[in-house]
Amino acid sequence: MPKSSIQQTWLVASWEFLHFFKWKQEIISKLIMVGIALVVFLWQTVKHDYTDEYKVAIKPVGELTLNSDKFVFDEVTKDLSELKEELKNETWDAVVIETSQQGVLPNLHIYSRDKQSWINELRSVLKNHYKDSYSQTLGLSESQLAAIRTGATLKIEYLDKTVKSKEKTSEAVAIGMLIIIAVGVFTSFGQLFVSVTGEKQQRVTEQLYSCISPQTWIDGKIIGQMLHAIKAMVTMVITFMLVMAFTTVVLNGGSVDFSFIDWGLLPWLILFAVTGVYFCTCIMASIAAAIDDPNHSGKSAMMMLPLLPLIITFITLESPSGWALTFLSMFPLTAFAAMPVKMSLIDVPLWQPILALILTVLTCVYIRKAAARLFKMCMTMYGKEPSILDMCRWFIKDPT
Amino acid sequence: MELTVNQVTKTYGDLTAVNALSFHVSQGEIFALLGPNGAGKSSLVRMLTGFTHPDDGQISLNLAGQFFSHIPSQALGYLPEDRGLYPEKSVLKNLVYFARLHGMSKADAQQEATQWLEKFDLSDRLDEQLKSLSKGNQQKVQLISAVIHNPKWVILDEPFSGLDPVNQEKVVEFLTELKAKGMTVILSAHQMAMVEKLADRMLLMNLGEAVFYGSLHDIRQQAATNAVLKVTYDTIDRLKIQSSDHGLTIEQLTEESLQVLLQPSQSINDVLASLTTFGNIKSVHSQSLDLHQLYLHAISKHKEEKQQRPAKEKQYA
Repeated sequence: MPKSSIQQTWLVASWEFLHFFKWKQEIISKLIMVGIALVVFLWQTVKHDYTDEYKVAIKPVGELTLNSDKFVFDEVTKDLSELKEELKNETWDAVVIETSQQGVLPNLHIYSRDKQSWINELRSVLKNHYKDSYSQTLGLSESQLAAIRTGATLKIEYLDKTVKSKEKTSEAVAIGMLIIIAVGVFTSFGQLFVSVTGEKQQRVTEQLYSCISPQTWIDGKIIGQMLHAIKAMVTMVITFMLVMAFTTVVLNGGSVDFSFIDWGLLPWLILFAVTGVYFCTCIMASIAAAIDDPNHSGKSAMMMLPLLPLIITFITLESPSGWALTFLSMFPLTAFAAMPVKMSLIDVPLWQPILALILTVLTCVYIRKAAARLFKMCMTMYGKEPSILDMCRWFIKDPT
Repeated sequence: MELTVNQVTKTYGDLTAVNALSFHVSQGEIFALLGPNGAGKSSLVRMLTGFTHPDDGQISLNLAGQFFSHIPSQALGYLPEDRGLYPEKSVLKNLVYFARLHGMSKADAQQEATQWLEKFDLSDRLDEQLKSLSKGNQQKVQLISAVIHNPKWVILDEPFSGLDPVNQEKVVEFLTELKAKGMTVILSAHQMAMVEKLADRMLLMNLGEAVFYGSLHDIRQQAATNAVLKVTYDTIDRLKIQSSDHGLTIEQLTEESLQVLLQPSQSINDVLASLTTFGNIKSVHSQSLDLHQLYLHAISKHKEEKQQRPAKEKQYA
């Protein structure tokens, strides 16, 4: 029984995917990720069960009353060398010496056995203590003291009400989004280049043409490569999350906080990222088919064309409500990059992403057909490469 | 089920690769496409497979009552001139992949691949990477990949190239087996001895045109030269050969022997009468031209005719 084109497409896609899928590497990298996640989880669990208390020897010049939940301060009068010895023997976790009191506030010297995550906390406890002590000597009221502690309150207000309140986070999400799409595109770029030029050099093209249509062939290839691109993007997001969690929990002693994720925005970001990678992969596959000699072809650089929308969007990032990003977010060739960025930065009316997505999908439908035409013509040409003019003509119309 | 090619022309820019070509291929026969490099065989094959389309004329295939303008992929097994499978993958994976693309289930594809590999003495190498096999063995795997799905029509471009004589004989057996299974085989080859042994009918092409078409017997009939006489003399009078208007095509083999190409229009008595004027004949042997000789004569004759054609066309103009 002849297979349907969907079955054939899936067969090509799985062949393409497995061609670049190395089980051993995948298992190792995923085990590393699981390991990091376990460390973060265990660290947080242990930290909850075990209350940290650090013993600090402090040698003040005058009188000292110092309280903290985390640190137990013992006033000592011993020599520094003796204290250092006790620090080495783990009698103390840290030693604090007031070295002089020439100014209004003393100079403090903290000794520790090695670099510890709580040192910064100790520093801040000491700083606050001395600041408060000095403030009290000035005879200020409680409200005056509170005002000094909190400092001036700053609030930025934009006339453009669409700008999102968490400005820093939303900009980071926007740039992160561009980077994630770029990772997907670069993954497809490298593997498609190897795969398509490899098949051409191995002269497997005519054999394949006798079994499947060029459309089925390029569809399968694109799906296979897209799966890799999506895998790379997801891996990158998970790695980023893990690194962030590791840094926050293990290095800085905080707790995991993913409140910056806008869950309402997430489905849109995923949709645009997937259609964007599809669009770019289509273009790159058809250009790669024109490359006869991968070592000397000038067309390899043309494969980077799909990165242009990402670069242009990055440039216009500064002004999310400006005409440039507004145009790019609706223009079908750039919408996949510009719209999610705009959505991350400012509130966008619902019709805009819907329209942009429809336009992008329609463009993908056209590009899919055009890429197959170009792919068919280019893949059967050996020995010489088609001119850019030829490629443009074939992209528009089937010459056969 | 018959493939008919009617007045088909294909041009690439200024070059006419195939020029008003007509022939037909019947179901179950082995049909050979012959011709020197650049004769237009590959262009013709590409039109038969549907990779390209004729600029003029029609190709028609009746397949169970349905008409196609080329051999459809579900009925086609193809060994292209440019060989290639996936060298990094195993022999079995390559074969199963192509069989599955042609619609076979994984289990059937594996079973069929194993059987074919056994026939070609490659059953112990099915898990090896294709690139680790010798060129000849890779060629065998490629041949299997073209027929593993039991197609009704098989096009084999140069199936003997790269094979030693023992393996060439194996391919002859292989093709005979395909014919016995009811497959129609269109084969392009330069090994005339193999073609003579295998082909039911053939088409000899040169510069995009048909030179001969039919069975070997038909071709012998069509050929201007269909036999040679080898004549041995005591001594040959060369001057007489050069001076007399004998109308014979003569090639001097040695000091005492000649080879004369016989044409169907020539009377053997007249030929012998002319030959006796060159000296005292010791012996005469006649033999039919084999396909190789017919091919060489036909191609050179067609070239001459083609060169004269523009001059004649100019005269008429």
